[in-house]
Amino acid sequence: MKKEDKWDLSTDARPLLATMTRHIAMRQWRERTRQQPVVVQKLADHIRLLAEEREAPPRYEDEIGVLRACLQKLPEKSRDLVELYYYEDIATPQIADQINMKKDTVCRALSRVREKLRECIERSMNQGGAAHV
Amino acid sequence: MSDADTLTQHYLEGTLSDAEAEQLHDLLKAQPELGERLIQQFEMDAMLRATKPLVANNIVRPALLPKRRFTFTTVTSVAAMAACITLLGTWVMNAALKLRPETEETTASVAVLTRGVNLEWESAAITPGTPLSPGWLKLKSGIAQIEFYQGARVLIEGPAELQLVSSSEATCTRGKLSAQVPPQAKGFRINTPKGTIVDLGTEFGLDVSAANAEVHVFKGEVELHQPAATMKSLKEGQAMAFADKQASMTANASSFASLNDLDARSAMSQRVHFEKWLTSSSKLNADAGLRLRFDFQDDEGSRSLLNHAANGGEIADGSIVGASWTTGRWPGKRALEFRNVSDRVRLNVPGETTALTMAVWVRVNGLDRTFNSLFMSEGWGERRVHWQITHAGKVRLGIAGVGSTRHGDYDTAEFFTPERFGRWTHLAVVFDPVAKEARHYANGGLLARLSLKDSSPLKIGTAELGNWSDPRGKGGVAIRHLSGAMDEFALWDRVLNDEEIAALAK
Repeated sequence: MKKEDKWDLSTDARPLLATMTRHIAMRQWRERTRQQPVVVQKLADHIRLLAEEREAPPRYEDEIGVLRACLQKLPEKSRDLVELYYYEDIATPQIADQINMKKDTVCRALSRVREKLRECIERSMNQGGAAHV
Repeated sequence: MSDADTLTQHYLEGTLSDAEAEQLHDLLKAQPELGERLIQQFEMDAMLRATKPLVANNIVRPALLPKRRFTFTTVTSVAAMAACITLLGTWVMNAALKLRPETEETTASVAVLTRGVNLEWESAAITPGTPLSPGWLKLKSGIAQIEFYQGARVLIEGPAELQLVSSSEATCTRGKLSAQVPPQAKGFRINTPKGTIVDLGTEFGLDVSAANAEVHVFKGEVELHQPAATMKSLKEGQAMAFADKQASMTANASSFASLNDLDARSAMSQRVHFEKWLTSSSKLNADAGLRLRFDFQDDEGSRSLLNHAANGGEIADGSIVGASWTTGRWPGKRALEFRNVSDRVRLNVPGETTALTMAVWVRVNGLDRTFNSLFMSEGWGERRVHWQITHAGKVRLGIAGVGSTRHGDYDTAEFFTPERFGRWTHLAVVFDPVAKEARHYANGGLLARLSLKDSSPLKIGTAELGNWSDPRGKGGVAIRHLSGAMDEFALWDRVLNDEEIAALAK
């Protein structure tokens, strides 16, 4: 196993980030995609092109600053969902079991939460963005 | 059949089945607008993951279910997640790490060159507006006005050698200077080989040559400290020669007269530059390869920029949207200020071009956006051209790909550091299909030379100065307006060589 395979992104992203330039990331991604079923490869390729068309990252720096404020504004249920899925790493089928919902409903709810957060960030950014530290 | 939201979630989670992958792919092909939404979902997903290290420690709720470790191995076991993390995650995490306050930028500068008349330097050439770090300034001729950050203002006439030590101290080994020291800069020191002058809030002149050193006090009081003598206090109207032995004299303002008419000489010098520029304009306009040239000298209140290129018949005048008129490089030179999300100059460059050179005089006020536009083709269609400055200060020439060919980004190293903000800078970029190179220039000097991935012709089409528009944007267009001003822009359909570009920047 290569060294970078052992890193745990949730606790230590920095060695990975320090080493992985975008090109390395792309190359690794291509190599790994090859081992996937053809349909997934095709889909992933399509999505990669869509991402590349956007040239480069949007304004993440400020956005991450306001993301935290937006998280606070979410209804409690939505916030719980974010915490369970993103911060406690619980998979959607298990979340569904736990909160007594259908699996697909959890998936749709997560999509909606991401959409809401995006809208909140857009709104905040248009009002001047995050204060600088 | 699952809906797009569920499929997206399965994709992100890495649980997409083959059938679902096919279904999502079909949906994406059938509904192009879904692609944008999908990417937005990926971005948000990546951002939420990026914030985990920042918020995870604050979660106090006990885990209700056994934790599933989120490791790189699990990520990479699924192509979808890998795409998400590798494409977007790296940028996001880097950005997240930048939030820490210790990355705040710093400057080593202690003073700024505020004005200059006929400056000729022995040391590296500097122009007014340049922040100065500790070190030697060697002036061959001309007059330079230096303002120290603590408030002292020094005029120095070449030939002179001045070493900046700190924001309140300098060493002069040769030359004639005058200093104005306001009360808040009291204690300002100038060292000479023969002694040190400590200013107590005043105006004085200093003349240092190999054989002699004189200090003349015009206002207030200074102290003269010498190694082998007691400290001397000199008051208004007094002067002293202090090379070998001290000799009292009367202050003589006339011997520093050349430093006093800086205002008039400075205005004259600027006028001369402006006149020279006006004269060179007509020659430049006649260049057969020049297709577009805006000199920004259009009538006050005009809402269009005239294309002055003699051979630029097919490129219509630029249309000003939002941007307001301001002063350019010299008094009387007009410029357009871009400060708002709507500010831009719209134009159209029809057809294809095999080679391209663009040049601009720009004053960048700040790099607030991820990308800050100089000259941008609309959208990002095949062989379109994007000339912009990244948030980190790199100048980028981006050329869109065709079909499945990837686009090319040709970046300089970080150039626009905060010290360069607010100063007029000449930038040029060359797309050279023969040498298969993109070349960037700043102030006439070569900044970067980069191999082209694809040297096929460019299609500029509808384009904007100082901003970007994207007709594809459904959920809004990325904000990329320039924060700054431009007072000259030109575009050639040929390659300009190093000498020609150096001449443009003079």
